Amino acid sequence: MPSSEESSLSGGRGQVETEVPRSWIITRLDFLVNWARRNSLWPMPFGTACCAIEMMGSAASKYDIARFGMERMSFSPRQADCMIVAGRVAYKMAPVMRRVWDQMTQPKWCISMGACASTGGVFDTYTMVQGIDTIVPVDVYVPGCPPRPEGLIYALMMIQEKIKGESIADPRSREEDPEGAGQPQLSPEEVELIAGPFGNSTFQNRVSGLDSSSPLIRPGDRKEQRHK
Amino acid sequence: MTGTTTPSTPAQVRQVPAPRPDVEEMRSRIGVAVRGVEYDAAGDPILYVDPERNVEVLAHLKGSEGGSYDLLRDITGLDLGGGHPIYVVYDLWSTAEGRPLRVKAQLRADRPRLASACDLWRAANWLEREVYDMFGVTFQGHPDLRRILMPENYEEGYPLQKDFPLRGRFTRAEQTRRAMSMALDDVYSMEELVTAGSGGEDGLPELARRQMAQTPGVTARAAPSELAGAGAGRDDDIETRNMLINIGPQHPATHGVLRLVCELDGERIVGCTPHIGYLHSGFEKLSEYRTWNQVITLTDRMDYLAPMMFNVGYALAVEKLLDVEITPRCKVIRVICCELNRILSHLLWLGTTAIDIGAFTPFLYTYQERERIYNLHEAYTGARMTTSVTRIGGMMADVPPGWLDGVREFVETFPRTLAEVDALLTRNSIWIGRTQGIGVIGAEEAINYGLCGPNLRASGVPHDVRRDRPYLDYETYDFDVPIGELGDTYDRYLVRMEEMRQSIRILEQALERVPDGPINVADSRVILPPKSETMNSIDGMIAHFKLVMEGLKVPAGEVWYSIESSKGELGFYIVADGGPKPVRCRYRTPSFMNMAVLPRLVEGELLADMIAVNASIDIVLGEIDR
Repeated sequence: MPSSEESSLSGGRGQVETEVPRSWIITRLDFLVNWARRNSLWPMPFGTACCAIEMMGSAASKYDIARFGMERMSFSPRQADCMIVAGRVAYKMAPVMRRVWDQMTQPKWCISMGACASTGGVFDTYTMVQGIDTIVPVDVYVPGCPPRPEGLIYALMMIQEKIKGESIADPRSREEDPEGAGQPQLSPEEVELIAGPFGNSTFQNRVSGLDSSSPLIRPGDRKEQRHK
Repeated sequence: MTGTTTPSTPAQVRQVPAPRPDVEEMRSRIGVAVRGVEYDAAGDPILYVDPERNVEVLAHLKGSEGGSYDLLRDITGLDLGGGHPIYVVYDLWSTAEGRPLRVKAQLRADRPRLASACDLWRAANWLEREVYDMFGVTFQGHPDLRRILMPENYEEGYPLQKDFPLRGRFTRAEQTRRAMSMALDDVYSMEELVTAGSGGEDGLPELARRQMAQTPGVTARAAPSELAGAGAGRDDDIETRNMLINIGPQHPATHGVLRLVCELDGERIVGCTPHIGYLHSGFEKLSEYRTWNQVITLTDRMDYLAPMMFNVGYALAVEKLLDVEITPRCKVIRVICCELNRILSHLLWLGTTAIDIGAFTPFLYTYQERERIYNLHEAYTGARMTTSVTRIGGMMADVPPGWLDGVREFVETFPRTLAEVDALLTRNSIWIGRTQGIGVIGAEEAINYGLCGPNLRASGVPHDVRRDRPYLDYETYDFDVPIGELGDTYDRYLVRMEEMRQSIRILEQALERVPDGPINVADSRVILPPKSETMNSIDGMIAHFKLVMEGLKVPAGEVWYSIESSKGELGFYIVADGGPKPVRCRYRTPSFMNMAVLPRLVEGELLADMIAVNASIDIVLGEIDR
């Protein structure tokens, strides 16, 4: 029986692998780390309203997100990987949400579940945050009012896909940002831009070149807001 | 008593029908403090009182000689805008006689102030705070008049005043900046400040110390508060100090975004202050900017655990204003929707309460059954949760073929699961140990606190709107209203379990009697005519055009209409001016009233029991904060 050094010199790559003892796996470190991360995402359930009930539904027997390694709802932000903001967020709640996000350690991800969390939804009122992306960075938005549990599970799978492409060499996945703690995610100008009446939809229309969907845009409203 | 007494055409709503003898008699007894009597669209009397003497009149009405209006259902404000005065509206209910009475006080818009009714009813405390928060009405003599829903440092004004813009006075950027610069723990109530002073000021957060210095009349308590029994056998030489602990607003056991600040002596709770408003969404303001039918989509987002009940309640209230009689088929379908949702809501309560007390299995059982109701929702409306199932004058559509068979199957099989959960919990010694004798409240006190729904019935008060003021022909269904004896956590559990069984009974009867016929009223003022008529006749075309372009028009008037939701009496106080949008939509939500009693229930209990008690009163924050 030839030694493994000999065959690796003489034969091709495939031969080497057959000779390696079975308890070994050769892989990229990134792949291994990402594999571990994406299959044990511990969600931080930041549930406020209707969407929180659907989030509970996702964890219950019929939909069972345990299948994706996410059944361990981590109510302590310190041990959580993925914040799920499920439901509308009032301005009174905004600093709480930011603090929970700041308390989570890197690497972390954020899902904005439902129309209210993503854009304010039907609540274009004096009290509601018009999209949590003004306060914290968001990785995946789930549309729906509320989204079905399948929608939330799909969002978690998209986070898994995103993790697949990350590298531990990328400092962004490790660095904490103490400067930004307690601060809104966007600058005041950007907040104005996307949080005006129908802001998120008009803004998204504009970036996608759909300026003509004018019934949604109310120029008067926006001008008035800008001038203040 | 029956629900309707005054059938009237819309134009007559504001006119006084034949004066009711009991009201006239009451008026003469109270004397000059009553400035006038009116009757609303439902025929309920409204007393206009002298704002200087409101408490005097209320005390008279509450007292035994007056008329025993012992249950304070609601206090709210009404701003008509345009320099009109602001009204404060009290809604009272007599549990003995089973009838309502509304009391209105007219205030000057520039400096609205009124005497507080807190001494008469404990329930007035939070209600007056809300009126202060939303309308800026100052209640003199109120023990703790602070903002309740908005942040305490909110500077944009009073949101429900008519001249307050829907999106607030500041720009979104400014609102975001102010929100984010809010320190999370800088706001304390009077009790908390007093508590904080009890052990010296060293242990205090700095902001609390500053706030205490600024608040006149708050002085540090001299000694740690004494708890009955707790001090016995304690060595007097050891100085103990009570501790303030903050729970929430992001906490798994508070059932939503509720913040509780507790003062603890060891593990016993000396005082507890709930802070709410973390989910305030401006439903009442938003409703004033939406057409009558659009508001329905808002109602199911208030109580997302029993959405169809809110849809039905709102539609019934507006139909009362319109004086529209819905079809027999619609009535029965609405009963089916309501009772399904009562089960849906109670099941979530059961599952989450069991988790809080330490039993996980019931959650999985109950959620399995909830999924079956969600499937029925979806088959009917297309949505699992936000159903928007009603329309003014009918339903969004007739039920799809086979749907009633689905309900029938649920009705037949659900009691088996319920019996399994019952077997898991009801005689379980851990469950009994955690719930019996915990969070007790007696009947008289429960009424004083304005408790409602299963919580009130668990204390032995048989008040159920389905019985006492029937709607949707509930008087023709055969069902029992379960009541408890002690009013502890265990009784509240038993009452809800029995209510689910009674709901199944009602569902069985409703399924037997679903009549054929149209689901919507044939009134082109309210409901779009069928397409064939729109396309083929000029009358149909005109009706369609007017309804689409001008919208549904509700005649001027007001109504206070309530139904028995899963959490208690759900009231809609709706004011119309004849236009396509409401002038005022007040949602008197049951959880708001039930939540206010928590400090009383948990006083002297262990911290762990507070979680059980909080779970047992079945709150949903979407409805508390609105």
